[in-house]
Amino acid sequence: MLSRSVDRTARAQRIFAVSLIALVLGFLMVVQIRSQARVDESLANQDNTSIALLINDLNRGNSDLLQQTVTLGQRQEALRQALASGGSDTAALNHEVTVLGVVSGTVPVHGPGLEIRIQGSVQDFELQDALNDLRNAGAEAFSLNGYRLIASTPIALKDGALTVDDHRISSPYVLRVIGDPERLQTAADISASSLQTRVQVSIDRKTDLAITEVLTPRPLIYAQLGS
Amino acid sequence: MAPRASVVASISLAAFLLSLLGATQLRSQPVPPSNRFARDQVLRQSVLDLEAQRQRLSAGVRQLQAQVQRLEDDSARRSSAAQAAKIDLDRGRMQVGLSALHGPGITVTIHDGANPNDPNDRSLGWIVHYQDLQDLVNLLWAHGAEAVTVNDQRVTPTTSFFYAGVNILVNTASRLTGPYQVSAIGDPPQLEAGLNDANQLAELKSRSRIYGLDLSWKRVNRVSMRPYDASFLLKYAQPVS
Repeated sequence: MLSRSVDRTARAQRIFAVSLIALVLGFLMVVQIRSQARVDESLANQDNTSIALLINDLNRGNSDLLQQTVTLGQRQEALRQALASGGSDTAALNHEVTVLGVVSGTVPVHGPGLEIRIQGSVQDFELQDALNDLRNAGAEAFSLNGYRLIASTPIALKDGALTVDDHRISSPYVLRVIGDPERLQTAADISASSLQTRVQVSIDRKTDLAITEVLTPRPLIYAQLGS
Repeated sequence: MAPRASVVASISLAAFLLSLLGATQLRSQPVPPSNRFARDQVLRQSVLDLEAQRQRLSAGVRQLQAQVQRLEDDSARRSSAAQAAKIDLDRGRMQVGLSALHGPGITVTIHDGANPNDPNDRSLGWIVHYQDLQDLVNLLWAHGAEAVTVNDQRVTPTTSFFYAGVNILVNTASRLTGPYQVSAIGDPPQLEAGLNDANQLAELKSRSRIYGLDLSWKRVNRVSMRPYDASFLLKYAQPVS
């Protein structure tokens, strides 16, 4: 009777031990497979130069987010103080309206940047690529032949002529960009190097250029607030 | 005896596998920096760390934005001037992608195709490139899109598309992986007409047929979009006073 009970306890212990090991084994396998899959799917196929460029972009993006945190913190504090003293900081609200107006192209701006002059025939996608690369280099405002541009402004080839938001434009194309001249120049040089085989491109750095053209905001007819 | 032997054998096998896995796991941990593999791993780990940091910072920005907006609402109740400014502010936020939106529209999907492994084909046409997404987005804007997202990332007035190796980047270093989904809010027939136009995206459509990129779209009654997950900072452009 006693020996059978001891036997049963011993067997239960063994089963427990095996189960525990199986559990740990399973856990380790999952960790192994998951960590492997994560590296495989995202980064394993990349060369180190691409990874280094990605790190550079991530650092810049994170530093921007950090600056945004500071700016938002200051706005929060200013609004709170105005409310505490019984008023409201209308100037701060209007300042933010202006910032958003600059971003959406509805406010005239000035600042350092580049004036890029292209003499000759170019395709719509070549201009779109150049604008995309300049935006990637931190461009904050654009105008092309007297029209203000943001990312959603259509540039198309219609009946052999380039159009900006349905307005026909022709060579020479004068693109004015505000942003960090150093970074913009690098992006502009790359675009220019591919264009220069066919057309004439000149890039002038400006310490202060004005973009006085403004966009009319696109009316939102289909889009409703809230998700 | 036989059952006990089989139990011992099971335990031994399990322990062996365990130690094997443990060892594999340990080997994949950072090894001395003279090792090239270790350097590669450290570089890749830096990306993962920076991406985690980006997510934390972005969540912090979103939280602060919500707090600031609550304070703005309170301010707007204090004076008519503040109320007018607040209305302009809300309108401005909608224009630049800082508000959640919904509405009818279209959803376009596409993914990388199969590598034909043909030594004569060096076109990389089976890969979806950042320019393909850029062209799709531009086409939708040109056909009346009021708001656009790419894999849930809001396309803003300053959004750019780029790449790092095999990854497509949007909104400064947000890595996108396929399948890609481009959504737009707007008039569904107008958006669809743009995509159906044989003169538009001709090269991408042909690559989709050849390499199986499965470029397709469908009208949607309700597209929901989250706001842009950061805010805007002007470092160089100043309003003309």
